[in-house]
Amino acid sequence: MEITIKENGTGLLCTLAGRLDTPASLQASKDIQPLLDNADKEIVLDCSDLEYISSSGLRILLGIRKETARKGGKVIIKNIREEIRQVFLMTGFYNLFEIQDS
Amino acid sequence: MEDYGLDLHGSILLDEYRQMCPALEKMKEIALSIIRGDIAAKKLMVTATEARVKEERSLAGKLELKGNKYATARDITDLLGVRVITFYSDDVEKIAAMAENLFEIDRENSVDKRKMHQLDSFGYNSLHYICRIPKRLYQDPDFPEINEIRFELQIRTSLQHVWATLYHDSGYKSGVEIPKEYLRQMNRLAGMLELADEQFCLIRNGITDYRRRVQALVADGRIEEVALDGDTFKSYLALQPFDALNHRIAALNQAEIQEVSLQHYLPILKDLGMNTLGDVAKMVRECREDAFRLASYQLGATDIDIITSAVALQNLCIVAILRRGGGKPGLKALFDHLNGVSESNESLAQIIYSQAETLNLI
Repeated sequence: MEITIKENGTGLLCTLAGRLDTPASLQASKDIQPLLDNADKEIVLDCSDLEYISSSGLRILLGIRKETARKGGKVIIKNIREEIRQVFLMTGFYNLFEIQDS
Repeated sequence: MEDYGLDLHGSILLDEYRQMCPALEKMKEIALSIIRGDIAAKKLMVTATEARVKEERSLAGKLELKGNKYATARDITDLLGVRVITFYSDDVEKIAAMAENLFEIDRENSVDKRKMHQLDSFGYNSLHYICRIPKRLYQDPDFPEINEIRFELQIRTSLQHVWATLYHDSGYKSGVEIPKEYLRQMNRLAGMLELADEQFCLIRNGITDYRRRVQALVADGRIEEVALDGDTFKSYLALQPFDALNHRIAALNQAEIQEVSLQHYLPILKDLGMNTLGDVAKMVRECREDAFRLASYQLGATDIDIITSAVALQNLCIVAILRRGGGKPGLKALFDHLNGVSESNESLAQIIYSQAETLNLI
């Protein structure tokens, strides 16, 4: 699992690549700390190369969402794959995030 | 210091005022803080709370006209003016009651201008209290006069405020007499605003009564007759009508349930033709088994152990849409509503539709 974070014009752009599963989630929760620190801004999660998401991964995304809601920021998920979109739907996460096609 | 050409008595009063200014400025902050604190504690909504220390020039003008009326500057009760502007005329009474509990009221000099009018007149409707800050609320050995100097508290509605401000601008204090024709027009407006204030209160009270009645009906389980709207849906959600299904779904994988708001489902339910809470309850009764089967089909083969409290209602809506013949377009419309219009929702609708076909839900 690879997470890269960089600043874009309005906030932070975070690229998630690989499998966000239980083994990867421990490191991932540390890697996303800059997102939580900047949760008052717009955070874009680019999921083009995110192959899989487990419950642990959903919890990490939920944590980012809660922090942005608390601090007045916003999370946008971009380029989500169909399988992950289905996971969002079946778990009731679908309307928690703004999901953009591209 | 500016010379306003006052007589000796007026000049003495003006000097007294200048010496009082630091205490008046401090009183302004204290009085505002006390009033704002109590308004917030009582969860009252007001348009504004404001205060001002009378400007020297304005006081000089007053002293020129009626300086002999006052023995000392402390007899002038509006050197500090505090104003609370409310949305509703009912709230004027509430703020008045609040002020009576907070401050020492000089009743002899307090005026309820609302009661001063003759039956055939309208006009400057406002409540003026002359107050002191009691020692139990504030005490400062460096400013003992803070508990002695009186200030004027005006309480009025927004509409009264607009009228009073415009009336003031039209010359009420300029010394120029307003022609009767215009005075009559101003008073006609005051009457109209008084009626508007009364109507706003009636509307607010009506809505409050309606909400209470609906909450009682929902609490008693008499939901068949309750119209589905934002208020009633909120009351219904408080009964946790989807919890049983959510827990049943969560039990599939021993999942935790994250609570989320369901209020945004209201337009979806309305689009499904539901007009009463009874219609929603009927959908729960009629669709819950199929909704559970769909969730079971989707989640049962995974190890996902987290869901949100929206899952039950989302699946109930999916089943209801399919039963009403909404098909794939109906499902896409649901997903578009949940997450914004997107072409991807079309393929998602196709997948869910196929799952429903497999389960013989259609």
